[in-house]
Amino acid sequence: MRVISRKMTDRLMKYLSLLVTVAAITPLVWIIASIISNGASVLSWEFLTSLPKPFGESGGGIGNAILGTFIINALASVWSIPMGVAIGIYLSEYDRGSKLGAVVRTAIESLSGVPSIIFGVFAFTLIVLTVRHYTALAAALALGLMMIPLVAKATEESMKVVSEDVREAAIALGIPKWARTVKIVLSLARGGVLSGALLAFARISGETAPLLFTALFSFFWPIGLDQPMATLQVMIYNYALSGFSDWVSKAWGASLILMLIVLTINVAVRGVTRQKYAEGT
Amino acid sequence: MKTKSSHFFNLQDSAFKYLLIGLSLLVVALFATIAYVLIDRSSYAVINNGAQFLLGTIWDVSREVYGAAPAILGTVVSASLAVLLAIPVSLGISIYFTEYAPRRARFYLSIFVDLLAAIPSVIYGIWGLWIIAPLIKVYVQQPIIGVIGWIPLFSGPAYGISISLATFVLTIMVIPIITSLSTELLSRTPMSLKEGMNSLGATKWETVRHVGLPFARLGTFAAIILGLGRAFGETMAVTMVIGNSYQWPFTTSSLFSPATTITSKIASELYEAFSTLQLSSLLELSLALLVISLAINITSRVIINRISKRGFS
Amino acid sequence: METKLEIKNLNAWFGEKQALKNINIKILEKSVTAVIGPSGCGKSTFIRCINRMHEVTSGAKVSGEVLLDGADIYTSMDAMDVRRKVGMVFQKPNPFPNMSIADNVVAGLKLLGGYKKEELAELAEKNLKAVGLWGEVKDELKKSGASLSGGQQQRLCIARALAMEPEVILMDEPTSALDPASTVKIEELVKRLKEYTTILIITHNVQQAARVSDMTAFFYLGELIEFSETRDIFEAPKNALTERYITGRFG
Repeated sequence: MRVISRKMTDRLMKYLSLLVTVAAITPLVWIIASIISNGASVLSWEFLTSLPKPFGESGGGIGNAILGTFIINALASVWSIPMGVAIGIYLSEYDRGSKLGAVVRTAIESLSGVPSIIFGVFAFTLIVLTVRHYTALAAALALGLMMIPLVAKATEESMKVVSEDVREAAIALGIPKWARTVKIVLSLARGGVLSGALLAFARISGETAPLLFTALFSFFWPIGLDQPMATLQVMIYNYALSGFSDWVSKAWGASLILMLIVLTINVAVRGVTRQKYAEGT
Repeated sequence: MKTKSSHFFNLQDSAFKYLLIGLSLLVVALFATIAYVLIDRSSYAVINNGAQFLLGTIWDVSREVYGAAPAILGTVVSASLAVLLAIPVSLGISIYFTEYAPRRARFYLSIFVDLLAAIPSVIYGIWGLWIIAPLIKVYVQQPIIGVIGWIPLFSGPAYGISISLATFVLTIMVIPIITSLSTELLSRTPMSLKEGMNSLGATKWETVRHVGLPFARLGTFAAIILGLGRAFGETMAVTMVIGNSYQWPFTTSSLFSPATTITSKIASELYEAFSTLQLSSLLELSLALLVISLAINITSRVIINRISKRGFS
Repeated sequence: METKLEIKNLNAWFGEKQALKNINIKILEKSVTAVIGPSGCGKSTFIRCINRMHEVTSGAKVSGEVLLDGADIYTSMDAMDVRRKVGMVFQKPNPFPNMSIADNVVAGLKLLGGYKKEELAELAEKNLKAVGLWGEVKDELKKSGASLSGGQQQRLCIARALAMEPEVILMDEPTSALDPASTVKIEELVKRLKEYTTILIITHNVQQAARVSDMTAFFYLGELIEFSETRDIFEAPKNALTERYITGRFG
């Protein structure tokens, strides 16, 4: 009798854990399904390329928001990716357990634990209040700060994995350290660095809070980097809360575009890396 | 062979090294600046609001009274409940993944969990607001109120958007955080221990229960703390489904009441903040959030570091 | 023949542990010297002091003089210069996986800069021919350096070291990870190379030392026990320890 009940407990746990897993995956499927069903009907060439209409009027689109999201992401990436890579290189190849290294690591870890809204508050206080208008540059500061720890960690980890043999060969040839670090070690690690940068890009594409008080929103095409700018995320937020049914539908359409961007990058990057490791597990 | 002098290369090497160090220090400076700006700009409010900031239940801009207790409680309760609800689900997924799932399913399963984490929070928000809230209002809240609405905790009216909905959405968002770490820990259970159990004729569940889970205990705890930190700092999804109201929990304690959190308060008021004290108070809230989040993050990292040094035990 | 390397009172440490004790030895130019001895005797440490690789390990210390053509490599030259003049081939072949075969050969030159594409291509061909690899890879020069077999990779690494036109080439058990056929090819190569450069080769295979080298140095527990012509060491070793090692009675 005891053996049967032990086996049954095992079976029970198996199905219980499976049930819980399915329950957890359900929202994922539900969300994707909701977005596709509510958003697909709104999609059209006009939707993707035209400017939004004022509240109460129907028609128009999210063209400026799509462009704005890419512009702000690009602005954030342009300064944060090189910085993140530099820090990753420093931590991997130049830090030998020094105090400076410990301080830098602590700063990076702390940055990654800061809620995204705080970066928005920071950029707002530092820039927006000082220049007295909303600006996309402040958003680039806030989002860039979020990207740095992700890129730095990915770079450090990818470089650390490069085998010592390769470094020794380079040292023995009498190649200067910077050349061996960049042209050999970094070059071998570039897959990991690229994945890290792409995932960081996807991550900030989904962040809205830092944009609320920096780039704010705009009903026009981006006119200047130091002006407010529309983004998909803020558009979804504003439109979904508006209650105006035309706008709510547009929010679903914008959600579909945003999801496409974020999920495509994630599936592509993670799929490739998981495959590499799954083969070995 | 053509040679440039080594002097030249040494200069290049020094320049490169100092460039890297400079950029690294710049990041440290940026972080320090964040802390400095928050502390500096909130000091006015800290002095003026005093202890009432943490205890006061009224936030009135016109009267310049800033009590943040409802927001703080909103954050603490929704985040803690969300994490508590997420733990059994995350552990269940980890156990299924490591013990029972067929090999091919594991690849897809891990991608699904990653995707749950990758969904932008504003999308959790719109889904929660327009899909779940109406359903919860009609199929969950109204029936419950109908039956036990006389208990203050379950009293009406049913809005859909509420502290309970926010907690529910937060739970989903926290699950992938705990799951990925606990799955990794569980899969690193030493083979020798598992083989020992197998040779005694133990079932998979018994092995997990007596060997795997205790082994993963400390790391899972660190993951839980990390998830708590994430839930504390979550803004968009919560703001869109919580209703942004100061009436919970002091005017009404119902789970179905709209409420607010620290992040929602900041998100909805900051860009219309006019008076110096209001702005400074919102920065005081931000500072409080930053301090809590950092404390949580550091605790979790310290635990994780300690585990990896001891070899995961 | 002239002295290429003169080592005087060389001592080396890893932290507190002393790995080499008072080594004094003169290596003649264009000779092949085998360095033999049981594991842990300091052979690797010894040759790594000659191209200043030993000091790369943290906590490593060196004292004494290593004179290359009369100039002390520690005081009168920069470490990078030393390594360009003293090349190294490692036990496990380590071509750069992210570079093609051709780029691997000229990696040391290319990363220094100052060479035109045509010059590099010519040098790649010349050095691949010198190691006998040209025929096998000439149609696949663009393939990754890591796509070759173990023996070919090692010859590629030798070509890479040769391209720097070094005064001395150090080889740390270059054939111990290879199959017998590749080992033979590399042993022949070593004998040919001494026409151009001076070679020190560590080997744990005593027969290999007998086959390829002119001089042999026997190390034991960090000390140089015996150093003379290979034939003498094998036929009439002066030291009892040397004799025991050569006849296989320990290590």
